[in-house]
This record gives sequence, structure tokens and C-alpha cells, in this order.
Amino acid sequence: MRKGEGHLGLRARSLSVTLGGRRVLRDVDLEAHPGEVLALLGPNGAGKSTLLKALAGLLPYKGRVDIGGADLAPLSTRKRARRISYVPQRSLLQSALSVEEVVALGRYVHGGSFGGMSRGDKEAIDHALATAHADALRDRIFTQLSVGEQQRVLLARALASDAPILLLDEPTAALDVGEAMAVLRLIRTLAARKHTLIVVLHDLADARSTTDRALLLRDGCVVEQGDTRDVVSAEPIRAVYGVRLIENARIGFEPDSETPNPE
Amino acid sequence: MRLYPLLFLLLLIAAALAVLVGSGDLTDPELRDTFLKLRGYRLAAAFLAGAALAVGGVVVQGLFRNPLASPSVLGTTAGASFGGQVALLAYGLTGAGSSFIVPEMIVPIGCFVGALGALAVLLLFLRITHDLLALLLTGFVLSALFLSLSAFVTSVAQETWELGRAVVSFSLGSVSGTGPRQLSFALPLIGLALVASWFWGRSLDLLLSGEEEAQSMGANVGAARWWSAIWVSVLVAGAVSVGGNVGFVGLVVPHMLRPFAGTKHQRLIPAAALAGGIFLVSCDVVARLIPSRSEIPLGVVTGLIGAPLFLLLLIRLRRERAYA
Repeated sequence: MRKGEGHLGLRARSLSVTLGGRRVLRDVDLEAHPGEVLALLGPNGAGKSTLLKALAGLLPYKGRVDIGGADLAPLSTRKRARRISYVPQRSLLQSALSVEEVVALGRYVHGGSFGGMSRGDKEAIDHALATAHADALRDRIFTQLSVGEQQRVLLARALASDAPILLLDEPTAALDVGEAMAVLRLIRTLAARKHTLIVVLHDLADARSTTDRALLLRDGCVVEQGDTRDVVSAEPIRAVYGVRLIENARIGFEPDSETPNPE
Repeated sequence: MRLYPLLFLLLLIAAALAVLVGSGDLTDPELRDTFLKLRGYRLAAAFLAGAALAVGGVVVQGLFRNPLASPSVLGTTAGASFGGQVALLAYGLTGAGSSFIVPEMIVPIGCFVGALGALAVLLLFLRITHDLLALLLTGFVLSALFLSLSAFVTSVAQETWELGRAVVSFSLGSVSGTGPRQLSFALPLIGLALVASWFWGRSLDLLLSGEEEAQSMGANVGAARWWSAIWVSVLVAGAVSVGGNVGFVGLVVPHMLRPFAGTKHQRLIPAAALAGGIFLVSCDVVARLIPSRSEIPLGVVTGLIGAPLFLLLLIRLRRERAYA
């Protein structure tokens, strides 16, 4: 990880979210550490994305979220965004911005109101593009990219902010197997660089292969929390999803050592 | 050719035409200075109004993430227009008007009061609801309300021929007869709002990805929305006070520019100010060139030029897709 806010972990205590009078999350406790990937799992409507958005400060919540031991609530939007970067499943961007311009948006948290880009900004953008293997896309129009390419650019935008904590909402949804694998490998690379990653995942096999720890939600409550191997195991999966887990039942894929990273 | 040299060249040509073209005879040594002065004021008024409306268009299009938004969507244009008409009517009916205000300042002040009234309602609603759609609908309702009130004023004004003419001519837009007092009233306000809009440019860039993403990237979405509404209102009030209600500039100019200036607001806003000014100065020249018993209203010319231009742009944009 580039120099920035340093290696920071995130901790949430008794986090509750009420949306439109309905309690969507109830007393969630979680901890995420630098160098580690935490998976948020659960069936549709369990509150995974709501939890992620609350952690990102995009939804009002009750309870406490700490970053590196300091309360997140009193921070301004901009200061918060310097510590936590949120990557949506899909961007709503429709304007004709180039990939480089999109990634440069991530530098907003460090700039003033004046337009110019400092050398530090340019370095951060180059570094983020290189890390996300999106260098070759630099001059392309963002909206014309494939979903997988867009996801890598959104990750680069998050990286450009130099935030130590990354929150990813279903980063592999709607991606083909090659694109998904590229994104999952990128997630491991970022963990190796001491980022703290919290990732909403639908695919339990991806969770098993990519994440270190997992938090299983049902109806807004934590059902199970711990090592991903223990969470994605027969009992909790049957209890939450109503399915039987069969070890090594599906066909698997791994990166081809002769194929370069997608660019 | 690079964008800014091209824009400055076009501005120079438009300004030269604006000074040279017209029904007055410049060879008459006695009248020449008066003609040049009047055309100079007219040129300045058209440029200011065009710059303000074009930048207002850029800001609301960014704010609503909708390329079809024009500065009038906030309802403050209709408010300014109504304020100007009421001021005209009050002046016409009372004859002398207030002794505190110079007669030629009555309309500009009326415009600002009208725009501020509309803005106050708009901001009140922004306090109650945080929904972008609610802002759009409030603007729409305000527009409808002020347009009907304007229609009422127009019908009352028809009772005297002179007054009726003045009110209709104001509502169709015109920069003829704009004097130094109106200009020096509108210039600082429009100038301030142009600079302020530029400062909000980076937040508007983030807002292109929607409010949630913008907030996650550190933008203060509420403040951006609040201040954008204020500065756009000041821009349109200034534009209406020197040029009456001129349509299409805020819609067409940002579209014409995006393929050349890109989408980033801090690059687009200065270019839009220049191009909007050039566009309206040129339309005013065309208004003077079209043979007619009295001059064609400016708002009619911008519509006649703007509408086909906009359709052409749409066809081209569809083809390129990238800028759709």
C-alpha cells in the first residue's frame, strides 16, 4: 500500500440500521484487520449491502464504528473518505469520462477546490491503474468498457484515494469466470499490501477461496462469524440457506500461468 | 485548433459584427458615437446573459445528471421573469414608480426579487426533503406557477397598449435598451456566481456518478446541491435582468462544447461562459439582420437557431454514442 493513512483496521459495535421504519440490521459486531479479507455472506435481503453502506457512512446507523480506534461518526465526509473507500457493484456514471478521469475522481479527498493535479495525484493515479491492471484502459471511455473492466477501474478509483480500508459490494457479480478471477486475485494482492478489505460476496466458493474470515448474516443479524472455512461449513450453511454443503462438488478454476493478466 | 484560441477568435468576430451591424448609419459623424455606445452596451448585455445561462445549464445538467436539464428547471427563471413583469406593470400603472429607485433599475431589481422568492421556496423544500426528484418536481411546479402568474400580468397589462407591448417584449427577451446601470448591477452578481460555480466544479464531477457514489468519494452532496441551486438562481436572475427571458442557450451550449471541452466541470465552465456569450451575441446580430418592421425578439432567434442545432447535435451524439 502507498503511504497514506497507514495500516488501519475497522471495528463495529452494536451496529443497527433502520430504513423506512424497518430494522434492517440488528446489533452487528465485527472486526476487520489490515492484511485480511472479511467476507459478508448471507441470502438476499439479509442486510449485507446495508451493512457495507453503513460502514462506509452512506447510511445513518446506531452503534459505533471505529477506525484505528477512533470513532468514525464525527469525521467530515471528506476525512472519512480518506480512510474508507467504497466500491459499488456498478457505477451510475453515464457521462463520457475517460478511465483516467474516473480514477482521478478518487483523488478528490486530497485536493482543494482548485482543478490542478499535483505530482502526488498523478503518481497515485498511475499506481492505482497499475495495481488494478487497468493501465491499458487509461484513455478509453469508462461507459464503453465491459463490466469486468469497469469493476477493475472502480477498484483503481478506490485505490487512488489511498484509503487503507476498502469496502467492496459484490465485486464479482455479473462478471464472467475470467473477469471474476482477475478481481479476486486483485483482492488478495491488496490484502498482501496490508489493506483492510470487507467484501460482500454471493458465491460461497469464491468466499472460501479468497477470504480469510467471514460473517454470515440472516434477517439483519449475525448468525456465524469466524474463519471462512468454519463459517462456510455444513451446519451454518444449512441453517441459513437451507441447502446441504458438499465439499469439492463443483468444478473449480485457477489462473492460467501462461495467460497474462487481463488488460 | 485548440479550444480557447478558437473561442476567442469567434468572440472577436461576433463582437465586431455586433458593433458594425444594425440599422443605424455609422458614417454619420454626429450619430456615430451614440450608435457605437448603444451597440457596446447591447454587446455586453448579450455576452453576460449568454455566459450566465450557459454556465447555469452546465451546473444543472451536472446536478441532475441529466443532459436535458436547462437552468429554467429550478423555477427561478420563471420567478425572475415574473418579478420583472410585475415591476414593469407596477411602474406603468403608478406612472412614476418609487422615488428611491431609478426607473431603469426597476425591472432588474424586480427580476432579482422574483428569482429570490422562487429560490426561497426551493430551498425550503430542500430542507424538508433530501430527494433530488423532489427538487426537480418543486422546480417544475414553481415554473408552472410563475408562468401562470406571468400570463395573468400579461393579460392585465393589455389594458394599455404601451404597457402591453413592454411586458410582451420583455417576456420574449431582448438586450436592446440595456444601459450601463443595469449592466453594472448584473455584472458583479453574474461574475461572482460564475466563479462560485467553477469552485463547485469538482463536486459536480463526483455527482456525475450519482449521490451515493459521490458521497462515498468524499463529496458533501447536500452542500453541493444547496449552493448549486443558489448560484444557478443568481446566474439566471442576472441573465433575465439584462436580457429578458431567453431560452435554449443553457441547453444547447453545454452540449455543443462537451465533445471539445470534455465533461470535467472546471474545464467546461469557463469554456461554456465564453461560448454562451458568443452564442447570444451572434443571435443578437442575427436578430438585427432579419428584415422586419420591428426587431425580431432575441428569445425567438435563440429558439429558431437553437432548436434545429440541438436536433443536429442529438443525431450526431447518437451516432458517436460516447457522448449520449
